[in-house]
Amino acid sequence: MPKHFKAFARRQEFWLAILFAVLFVGLSIARPNFLSLQNGVDLISSYAYTGILVSAMLVVLVAGGIDMSFAAVATVAQYAALTVANSWDIGWLGVLLIAAAIGIILGVINGLLINILGLSAIIVTIATQSVIFGLVLTATKGQDIFSLPGWFTDGVAIPFHTTLDGYQYFINVQMIGLAVALALTWFVLNRTNVGRQIYAMGGNVEAARRIGYNVFRLNLFVYGYMGLAAGLASIVHAQYNMSVSPTALVGRELDVIAAAFLGGASATGGSGTILGVVLGIALVAVVQNGLTLLGVSSYWSQFFTGIIIVVAVASMARDVRRRWYDNPGAA
Amino acid sequence: MDRRVSLKLLGCAAAVAMLGFGSSAMASDAKTMTVVVKEAGVPWFNILNQGLEEAGKEFNITTTMVGPAQADPAQQVKLIDDLIAKKVDAIGLVPLDVKVTAQAVQRARDAGIIVITQEGATQENKTWDLGLMSSQAYGEAQMKALAREMGEEGEYVVYVGTLTTTGHNQWADAAIAYQKEHYPKMKMIADRFPGADFIDQSSKVTQDVLQTYPNLRGILSMGSNGPIGAGNVLKQRHLEKKIALVGTVIPSQAEAYIKSGVIRCGFLWSPKDAGYGMVALARMVFDGKKIETGIELPKLGVAKVDDVNKVVEVNDILTIDKSTIDALIKLGL
Repeated sequence: MPKHFKAFARRQEFWLAILFAVLFVGLSIARPNFLSLQNGVDLISSYAYTGILVSAMLVVLVAGGIDMSFAAVATVAQYAALTVANSWDIGWLGVLLIAAAIGIILGVINGLLINILGLSAIIVTIATQSVIFGLVLTATKGQDIFSLPGWFTDGVAIPFHTTLDGYQYFINVQMIGLAVALALTWFVLNRTNVGRQIYAMGGNVEAARRIGYNVFRLNLFVYGYMGLAAGLASIVHAQYNMSVSPTALVGRELDVIAAAFLGGASATGGSGTILGVVLGIALVAVVQNGLTLLGVSSYWSQFFTGIIIVVAVASMARDVRRRWYDNPGAA
Repeated sequence: MDRRVSLKLLGCAAAVAMLGFGSSAMASDAKTMTVVVKEAGVPWFNILNQGLEEAGKEFNITTTMVGPAQADPAQQVKLIDDLIAKKVDAIGLVPLDVKVTAQAVQRARDAGIIVITQEGATQENKTWDLGLMSSQAYGEAQMKALAREMGEEGEYVVYVGTLTTTGHNQWADAAIAYQKEHYPKMKMIADRFPGADFIDQSSKVTQDVLQTYPNLRGILSMGSNGPIGAGNVLKQRHLEKKIALVGTVIPSQAEAYIKSGVIRCGFLWSPKDAGYGMVALARMVFDGKKIETGIELPKLGVAKVDDVNKVVEVNDILTIDKSTIDALIKLGL
């Protein structure tokens, strides 16, 4: 047990967990309504879109890649799926299938380009982001979709708690989407053969190739998975916003990428865990929520958010350095 | 009219100029005016063009509208130079970058063409700029509506796009100053929040604010997505009766929210009036009217004139509520 603990204590997740716990306890004491059910529901609902994307971004980062095009992909997926839903009664299943299919197709195109061109993923996906977003703006003329079908804006509402004065709390689309994405990503990375191969490929692509892993197919899977997540996240986002705008998502990709790095995913591939990214998002969410709850002026909140990220990244750097010291060349 | 069209078809630009010369003293002789907008084909400027056409008929000015395919100030320069070669009587300009277009505007003036700008108070060398509203009046109008909806008392918060968005923050400054002066029982409970450029961010801010300030009675948003994001949260929690939501909105986007009373009152300025006003102002210049404070622009009201910066400013703010929204949406807004 102490040995396990020692191993855990060296990981990024450990420091994140401590930082998170400190904030959590501190905020709970300072502002009792931080712990209220409503606040929890609010936080999960508003971070579901980011959370779903961060979990898929983890898979991409573990594989040693990166994807800058997911917001453009999500924009196409939500615009197309809900345009169709406004004309035909396709229901939730139809909307999700269209968004998922568009996401997977565009994601696989990314994977193919990265494989075939042999260029770095960041260049390829910035280019595809630009192409996709350009097409969206041309096709939609920048027009938002303001009215969506009633069944869509009503969403899913499964009551799970009723207060004494009759106020009901519901499980909503955002919670379901986030839970599915986190569970699926955990399963893929930790319980499947493909998941182990992705870690191996991210750690050392040449070694993975020589062992006989099909790097080409793995890349298609990884970027296809990112596309799928973008498709699903886009629907969760449209439901939260109750409208669709072609300009609402692109340009805000860094929120997602920063949360993944904060959660300990390595920029060079091969490492990162779902626990880490959950803690990464939770930390960002709780810091911003907490600053407002504490009544900190908006002019300061960016500063504090920055400080938290610096602390987290500094702990990560220390961690990497120590691993290097213990085992030179392996970090 | 027929004669003018055939002249144009023949490309007799010189004849057009002579026509202008020959009878310049007479009121409402035929003139030509072309307006260079930021971008061709976008809804906002299509509505502006409706105003140009309406005023064109009224004031006997043949109007056309041109604009770059993509918002590019260098393209605007090229369009202005083309118009100088064509010898139009007036050029309207909604500048993308006043520095880039400064020289072209000077060339037009040197060629004897009057230049009326809109959203271009700082454009050098222009004849006049038409300002549809001052930041102060716009901010104050929104605060007056919020105060009315809150019964002039209680806690409120203000949303802006970002803490550095110039327009939003100027409006917010004016609104807050007006509250401090006129509504002592109202209180801004926290510094202004960023996020009003996006629906999701506005929702999140609203959720946090509701947790923190349970006695909140009012929300004022300067960015047009703010009332939508805040409105989604208020509607979900059935708080629309308790909390007054007021702000800048796009009518077609806010239709359901205004009609259901979630957004109590919205504000915007009208691109159609902007187009109409530019033509009306051009006509006044053609007719040699003295342009000074107190002069009345048809439809837009009494203007305040800044002779140093060459700005004619009216206060033509659109109020969007249950009684006005249908007409505004029909207009295409």
